[in-house]
Amino acid sequence: MNREGAETYLRLLAEAELRGPMVPARRQPWSGQGGSTARLTAVAQALTAVRALDPEIVEDILADFDLAVSVRQRPDRPMSGRLGAAGPRPGRLLFPSPGTLLRRSRLATQSSREPARAPQPGPGPGGPDRLVPVGLTVPYRDEGLSGEMFLMAFAHTAAGARFTMVWETHSRHDPERDPIHPGLLPFERFTVADDRGGGYQLDFARSGGPEWAGDVSLRPEPPDDIRWLDISAPDGPVVRVELDPVAAEAAVGAEPAVTEVELSPGEHLLVMLAERLLTVAPEFPHYLRMQLAAISPGPLHTVATGMGDVIAALEAADVLSPLSPVPGRLAAVCAGMRVSGHGITAPPAQDLPEPWLSLLAHYQRRKPDTVPVRDGYAAVAAGLPELDGIRLALLSLLNTDGGSWLQVLARGLESETSRGPFGIDSYFPVSVWIRDSGGRWHACRPAGWHRHNGEYVGKLQVVPPLTRSTAWIEVLAAGPSAQVRVQLPLRWRYL
Amino acid sequence: MTNTRNDPWYSCLPSCETQVPCGQGRHIVRWEAGQLRLPEHPDAEAELVLAALGGEKAGCVELAEAWGRHTSDLSVLGVGPRGPADKIVVSWEDVEAAGQAGQHGGVPGLAALRRKPLRRPAGPPAAPGGHSARQQQVQAELDRATERRNDLLSLLALGYGFSVRLAGQVAAAHADSPDATARPALKAAITARLALVAEQWLGIDPDEVDEVSWHDGLGWGRTELTGQAGGRRLRVSLPPSWLARVWACGLALTAGHLVVAVDRAGWPDARVLAVRAPGAEPVLVDVHARQYDGRDGTAGTPHWEL
Repeated sequence: MNREGAETYLRLLAEAELRGPMVPARRQPWSGQGGSTARLTAVAQALTAVRALDPEIVEDILADFDLAVSVRQRPDRPMSGRLGAAGPRPGRLLFPSPGTLLRRSRLATQSSREPARAPQPGPGPGGPDRLVPVGLTVPYRDEGLSGEMFLMAFAHTAAGARFTMVWETHSRHDPERDPIHPGLLPFERFTVADDRGGGYQLDFARSGGPEWAGDVSLRPEPPDDIRWLDISAPDGPVVRVELDPVAAEAAVGAEPAVTEVELSPGEHLLVMLAERLLTVAPEFPHYLRMQLAAISPGPLHTVATGMGDVIAALEAADVLSPLSPVPGRLAAVCAGMRVSGHGITAPPAQDLPEPWLSLLAHYQRRKPDTVPVRDGYAAVAAGLPELDGIRLALLSLLNTDGGSWLQVLARGLESETSRGPFGIDSYFPVSVWIRDSGGRWHACRPAGWHRHNGEYVGKLQVVPPLTRSTAWIEVLAAGPSAQVRVQLPLRWRYL
Repeated sequence: MTNTRNDPWYSCLPSCETQVPCGQGRHIVRWEAGQLRLPEHPDAEAELVLAALGGEKAGCVELAEAWGRHTSDLSVLGVGPRGPADKIVVSWEDVEAAGQAGQHGGVPGLAALRRKPLRRPAGPPAAPGGHSARQQQVQAELDRATERRNDLLSLLALGYGFSVRLAGQVAAAHADSPDATARPALKAAITARLALVAEQWLGIDPDEVDEVSWHDGLGWGRTELTGQAGGRRLRVSLPPSWLARVWACGLALTAGHLVVAVDRAGWPDARVLAVRAPGAEPVLVDVHARQYDGRDGTAGTPHWEL
């Protein structure tokens, strides 16, 4: 890795950007949102994401850039979208706040060195992780509120024991006037007991994605070898949760298959960028989503500003070979998604990975989202082998709100990390895809997390959503040095 | 050649001066032979002692302290002017406003300038705890950042002549053996300044100037222009000392020549090594300087002629 090359590239790019406000009569790279500092920010984030530059150095460079721009902005000059949003007052300079000028911060150093990818605590005392698909409904009734809690999966790890769940209410409340939220559920009135007579309480936590889904932890932590749990809600029956996979008739998939891959840090970042583009659809209104790849220039034309600069910066940092095929593949994704202005000089490649081709084909269909997704869930539970320091466990699939969500438990994520370029989730540097039983591929992108005792429970949004006809899925998770595939049968239950 | 000579980098620079707010009036501040001088505060050291005992610190003295804090700060190269055409106007009213705002928690209306930090507790949230100590540290960092920003603004308010001299001093501090932490900033600083010089020299787009490569050892380096209009590339190799000894002294483009080194430093007469066109062999040229009149805001900078 060439850190000096990386820093030099970023500084030279800043110089090139600065020539915009410096000489207004020349070209207009300082053209506002989507240009100018968008390139600089994207490159800075990319170089930080691949660890070619420390965040503190990047912040220094950007702070100097901000100040340099500020002292050059004249009232009669066009202002950048980012810096000049408020507009300058005549005769008065706008200066960056001290916060933008923070020099190398020991605080930053400390935070970036948090446990990071340090070895995680082992599984709970006495055994490995316990992951059990559940698929049971616990009805409840409490004063004006009634409904069901659907238990999707059980996970007992070093961080404790929890169920992934989704809930439904049949409240008489007017949801417009009195919105229902999970805090209204009478979890404190649920009783939970194990086969040894131990009793527990339930604590709810959201984990991103739909509001009515999350996980409930058991407090205190149960022994790791209990056989079942009886759960009863107010005015509801006792529901027994078998924790022995055989007794639970769990849908158990094949053993995960691991294969080595060899991606440089730069290639891995570009793969994540491509997948970001391929999964950007949920961020657009439905009417635009339908046309993402079918209209020109397309609604994504400003999304990729600076991708060419990012590729050049990664090459300068020696984390991307000039011979790498990945930039060409990224260019092909841009072409397929009608993304213009990316600045990638490599010609679009023909040899795209099968999942990418599948998703591009999905977007390029005239009516890609015409089949409504019926609410339901499939109880799955599978632990994946470690991928580049990150351990994932898959804990249920949920279809709701027109989307699909894969609930996961992750260990080894960095608690505080840099923003990734173009909105990629660099704190979750794993590529996750699902191939459905019909042979179509679905990308999974992070949609929210919560931390619990050093582990992270989160949801990955599945793009496009899975349909109820999906009988099984193959999950492909990939890091820079290895990928793992696991096939899981699905037994859907409808909400 | 200049990169092996022992004469000071500023030997081709005349003194320059300006007036700055100090107390209720304005005082002269002068740069001379690599030093910032305060002619109206002959015993600045004693004033500093008095200030430490609770007395008010004179504006001139504060300015000199700021200068001293940044004589090797590479940020000076990143913020300061890239050439005479790079207009930076920071008034003393601006400096005062920034200083007062710093005392009251921020400059009004600066929210739009506030850059989101690159690090974030995004996605996975950070572990709780340690907030108080961390807040104190963050506040301390902010205080230092405020001081640094105000320092740089006040140094820019001195005007172009002082800014290029400070840039020269910073460049000279790192030029002899730039380490890995200084090389990127120095390279970017030289490349950016050379790009604007090349625009005047050859009429090319500054973006067509490649990253300057270091020239080590004897000689001065090389220049090379390749490609046709619209796709030209100018490649230049220069010693790191070029920034201080040539550019900061206003010699970079003299009588249509790119000056690559100083053979015999002096003011107002010097002998330089200059290149008429890319790829050509450099020639020794005797040059003569006159002080610029400053009507375009570049007071205190020399103008060199054959």
